[in-house]
Amino acid sequence: MSLVKQPSSTSSWYLPGIFKGMLLTFFGKMLKNLFNKKDMITLNYPEEKYQYSPRFKGNHVLTVNKEGDIRCTACMLCATACPADCISIVASEDEDPTVEKYPISYEIDILRCVFCGMCEEACPVDAVRMGPEWQTPGVNGSQFVYDKEHLAYRPQLNGGKGIQSLCEDTERHNFGI
Amino acid sequence: MPKCTLNGKEIEVAEGTTIIEAYKKLEEDIAHYCWHPGLSVAGVCRLCMVKVEGNPRLQIACNTVVQDGMVISNQDDEVKEAVRWGLDFHLINHPLDCPVCDQAGECGLQDQYMKFGKYDPEMAERKVKKSKVVDLGKRVVLDSERCILCSRCVRFTEEVSKTNELGIFNRGDHSEIGTYSGKPLDNNYSLNTVDICPVGALTSRDFRFKQRVWFLNKKQSVCTGCSTGCNIDVYFNKEGVWRFKPAFNAEVNGYWMCDKGRDYYANLNPYETHVEGERKDKKVKRIPVRLLNGMKGSEMINSQDLATEVGQKLKELGGEKVALVITGQQTSEELEAVTEFFAKDLNSKNVFYWVNNKENFDEFDGILKRGDENPNTKGALKTLEKFGLNQTWSQLTDGIEKGHIEMVLVLGPENQQVYPDFKTRVEELSKAKTLVWTTACLNESLDKSNVWQIPANTFVEKEGTFINHAGLEQKISFITDLVHNAFDGVELARLMRGEDLPEEERFKNSPYKRVDNEFTSIRGDL
Repeated sequence: MSLVKQPSSTSSWYLPGIFKGMLLTFFGKMLKNLFNKKDMITLNYPEEKYQYSPRFKGNHVLTVNKEGDIRCTACMLCATACPADCISIVASEDEDPTVEKYPISYEIDILRCVFCGMCEEACPVDAVRMGPEWQTPGVNGSQFVYDKEHLAYRPQLNGGKGIQSLCEDTERHNFGI
Repeated sequence: MPKCTLNGKEIEVAEGTTIIEAYKKLEEDIAHYCWHPGLSVAGVCRLCMVKVEGNPRLQIACNTVVQDGMVISNQDDEVKEAVRWGLDFHLINHPLDCPVCDQAGECGLQDQYMKFGKYDPEMAERKVKKSKVVDLGKRVVLDSERCILCSRCVRFTEEVSKTNELGIFNRGDHSEIGTYSGKPLDNNYSLNTVDICPVGALTSRDFRFKQRVWFLNKKQSVCTGCSTGCNIDVYFNKEGVWRFKPAFNAEVNGYWMCDKGRDYYANLNPYETHVEGERKDKKVKRIPVRLLNGMKGSEMINSQDLATEVGQKLKELGGEKVALVITGQQTSEELEAVTEFFAKDLNSKNVFYWVNNKENFDEFDGILKRGDENPNTKGALKTLEKFGLNQTWSQLTDGIEKGHIEMVLVLGPENQQVYPDFKTRVEELSKAKTLVWTTACLNESLDKSNVWQIPANTFVEKEGTFINHAGLEQKISFITDLVHNAFDGVELARLMRGEDLPEEERFKNSPYKRVDNEFTSIRGDL
C-alpha cells in the first residue's frame, strides 16, 4: 500500500517551509543536543560503536564443544538451505564412530551472504550461529571467504568467552538423545 | 490372464503376478522395503499391506498372487493405519539421524516416515545401541543401528552373487547383519547390496560422505568396463562425476552391475581429491588426472590447433608413411570417422587394431563381468570390416622399425588400467618419428619429446554407439562437460580435415554452459 499525499496550496509557497524547518533544526534539535548531550542520537562512529541486540544476525560463528572441536557434522543442510549459495563444505569421515563425519573445509563467502539466517535455522546440531559482528573490513576478495579456522577460532571469539561459541551437549548424549 | 481392480483401476496381468508387481505396473504408490523385483519374496517388512475385498484380514501385496476378479485397495484407512503402525515398529530402534546419515535424500524409510509424520517413535524405551562403522568388506560399511532387517542384502548374496557372505545374527532387538568370521564381503558385486539397502545401513566406502545425493544429477548411460555394456545411471554435478549405479535393463544387466565397473568413475574427473593434514587442519588438495590441453612433447598447446596441425602433417606425409591404431574403447561413430579419414582422405591401408588381452576375451563370471574389457570390440571389428582392412600388428612394428611409417596416430584407450601392455606399446610406437596419442587420462609413459598428446572426451562427454558382446547396439548420450578442451573422435576427424569446430555447436547441450558477462570475468562463476 502506498499513500500519496496530495500537495496542498500552502506547500507551493517556498519560504514558510524553509523557516519551519530551520526552527526545528535550531530549537528542536541543536539546542536540545547542546544542553542534553546524553540523549544525542548521532555517534562519533569509529570511536564510539552502536551496541546491537544480542540477537543481531551478523557474521557466522561455528560453535565448538568443550574439547574445542567443531560441532558441525557436515550434513550440508545449511548449504542446501542457503539461498545465496555461499556455503561450501567438504565432508570427511571422523575417527569417532558416534560423530561419524565432520567438515574438512567449511567456507562461507561472506560477500555473497545475505544474512538471512536460514543456515542457523536449518542446522540440526546448533553448529552454525550468526554472531554480533558486523564490521568486517578486508583488503581483497580472498579475505571475505571465511574458512573453518576463522569461523570457529578467530580471536574475537576468544575461545567462547568473547562471543558465545561454546556449546556442549554431553548431558543430552548421556540421556541417549 | 487374471483381471483385477487396483484402487479402482482395472488391470490385466500375467498368471502368477503378485499384487505388488501389479501395483508397480500401474505405477501406483505402494510402501515396501523388503521386496525387490530382482530378489525372492521375504515378506518381513509388513508394509505393503493391501485390503482385498471379501478377505477379513489385510494381506501383504508382495506375497499374494493376483486372482481373477480381485478388488484390491491400499488407500483404505484400515491399510493406512496398518502401515503407520508397521512403520512405528521399524522406527523402534532406528536412530532417525537423517542429517548425518548418508542415505538421506534417497532413503525409503525417510520418505515414508515423513509421509506419515512419524518424527518421534512412540516407544518409552531407549533405542538399542548397536555397532557403527563396521567394515563388512573392502567396499561396504555397515551401520547396524540404521538397519531395519529387511534382509535384501542377505538374499542378494544368496541368490544373485551366490557367495553367501552375509547373514542375520542374534535374535529380537539384538539382530544384526554381519559376515561370518574370516569371510568378508568382497565379491565383485558387493556394492549392489548398498544400492538395494532401503536405509543407510550399508554405505559405499568410496562414495560415503563425499556428496549429498540431492546435489547430484542423474543421467543414463552405458558402462564401459567390459563388453557386457551394463546400463548405468551416472550421478554428476558441476565438480564432476561421483558414482555409477545400475539402471534396469532386462536384456543386458537386469538390476545389477559389478564393482569393477563402478570404480571407473574416478578416471573421468579432471582432478583427484586428496586429503592431507592432521585431524584439525586437514586440507583438500586437487591433483590433475585428465589431460587438460594439447601437449606437443612438453610444450602445452591449444588442443584444436594441435589436431589441425596433425591433420596437415598427415596429409603432407601421405598414405604409406602414416598409420592409425584403434582400440575397442571408442564409440562406433568415432572409429568410423577417423578410419574414414585414413582410408578415404589419405588412401592409407595402415589401420591397426590394438587388442589388449586376447587370451581372456571369452572369460565370463556367470553373472555380468566378461573378460573382454572393451565396450566396443564388436564395433571396432565392424569398422575394420567395412573398410576392408586387415593389417596385423607385426606389420606396424616392422614398418616403424624400418622407417616406412613415420607418423602414428593412436586413438588411445580411455580406460588405461585394462591395458596391461600400455607401457610396452608406447615404447614400441614412440620409435616412430612422431606419435600422436589421443588420451583422456594422463600417463607418465606418454611424457616423451616425440609424443603429441590430444585430450580426448570420455564416454560421459560424447554421444555414440557401443556394440556389446551379443551384438546389441546401445546409444550413449552426452551427460556433462568435464574437460573443456577435449574432443571426441568425430570432432578430431573434422579438425584433421581442416574444418572448424564452432564453440556454440560443441557445447550446445552442456548443462553448465558458461555465460560470459562482466560478473563472471571479474569474480569467477557466480
